[in-house]
Amino acid sequence: MTSLIDIIRDNWLLLLIGQFPFGPLGGIAATLILSVCGILLAFPVSILLALARISPRRWLRWPVTGLIYVTRGVPLLLIILWTYFLLPVLIGQTISGFTTMLCTLVLYEGCYLSEVVRAGIQALPRGQTEASRALGHSYYVRMRHVILPQALYNMLPSMLSQFISTIQDTTLGYVINVQELTFAANQINNQILTKPFQVFFILAVTYFAVCFGLSSLAHHVERRIAHRRKGGTRRAVAPAAAVSIPAGIVSASSPEKAP
Amino acid sequence: MIMFSQVNKFYGDYHALVDINAEVRKGEVVVVCGPSGSGKSTLIRTVNRLEDIKSGQLLFDGHDVQAASNTNVELNRLRSRIGFVFQSFNLFPHLSVLDNIVLSPMRVLGVKRAAAREKAMQLLERVGLANKAGAFPEQLSGGQQQRVAIARALAMEPPAMLFDEPTSALDPEMVGEVLSVMRGLADEGMTMMCVTHEMGFAREVADRIWFMDAGRILETADPETFFNAPRHPRAQRFLSDLRSH
Repeated sequence: MTSLIDIIRDNWLLLLIGQFPFGPLGGIAATLILSVCGILLAFPVSILLALARISPRRWLRWPVTGLIYVTRGVPLLLIILWTYFLLPVLIGQTISGFTTMLCTLVLYEGCYLSEVVRAGIQALPRGQTEASRALGHSYYVRMRHVILPQALYNMLPSMLSQFISTIQDTTLGYVINVQELTFAANQINNQILTKPFQVFFILAVTYFAVCFGLSSLAHHVERRIAHRRKGGTRRAVAPAAAVSIPAGIVSASSPEKAP
Repeated sequence: MIMFSQVNKFYGDYHALVDINAEVRKGEVVVVCGPSGSGKSTLIRTVNRLEDIKSGQLLFDGHDVQAASNTNVELNRLRSRIGFVFQSFNLFPHLSVLDNIVLSPMRVLGVKRAAAREKAMQLLERVGLANKAGAFPEQLSGGQQQRVAIARALAMEPPAMLFDEPTSALDPEMVGEVLSVMRGLADEGMTMMCVTHEMGFAREVADRIWFMDAGRILETADPETFFNAPRHPRAQRFLSDLRSH
């Protein structure tokens, strides 16, 4: 136990920000920046991919569907390695591990998120699209003002949990020397050499603390949305009310329509 | 105003609309009735192309509805001129009552927010819901939601209104408030096409009744004739079935 505290006391700054300002920003800061930037950039990408994926135009739908299938079917580590070796060749100059990792995350999380967005759009009642059509909305107005606001709101919890997986995914940046939290922990381990269990225990606890905090938040958001949805809609409230009423009374009040 | 000539529609092999020839004239109120599954809703939904037709021609205010397919802009413009009220209201749940109404005038017609609001408030006044402008759809009763839906359609100032079973999803005590709004519209000379099971409304408000069964219009008549002396045997049976309940 004392050794745990010692390790933290000696290395907390390294865990927090890496070798900054003497080297690149690292540690938790880098992990969080990488995840936040990754998800923020992946978000618009995912909307575009989702829209393409449900487009009636084949030339749009097929390649994007293919891209999503491939991305989802290949381990993230492989995509990182591909980007790492391929991207410099394609653009003709070397790029940092951080940028490589960010590009990979945007592609990878974008594809995963796009399936979330697609599900959110397709889960909306048909009537919403029809009403929007009947009012003469253009595709843009329909998506921007009617469909996406509802779909994305409903998808908030899923998007938060995608963000949590993104944080965990950043650990893989370690293999291409991105100086994030895992990298920092490994540096510490290489200095101390004799206490790998303690070092990686600290690493695990740190990831857990961050991710657990966020998944509690996701859970909270989920409940609030469920509560709001139940709020005024009579259909959603009806079954809950029916449960508390004795069976005889329920059968007598037949007009109560259960969904 | 709305003209069907030789309109046919299929769902797969199922012949949903058979040789429809009919016209809704300007200022006329037409009620489409008939047993369920007879194609009433399909018929009304072809007018703004929520359903495509297979053959024939459909004119709305002189514009070929089916030809508008080529360019989306044209179809959207056409749709924006056809008020449509759904059985299930289909209000946008994430927008307040007021925003439901101003959205389309602002985003489709380019009306300024202030003007759109003013118009929306007049419409809400008219459907008796001026005090609900800030409410969200889920906080309203079915009848109130449907009246908002009517106001939303009217906000586009359409030359004609289509109603697809507007009262079928309502509890009985709310049917009246929706029908009275519709009656008001009819009195002002709005061109209307209504699919409804409210025979009282049909009798009182309609200029003409179209009776449908199995995808055909079997009889068109003024309400007096239709309810007292229907000619087609299927219509006679339909009406006697209604009375026996």
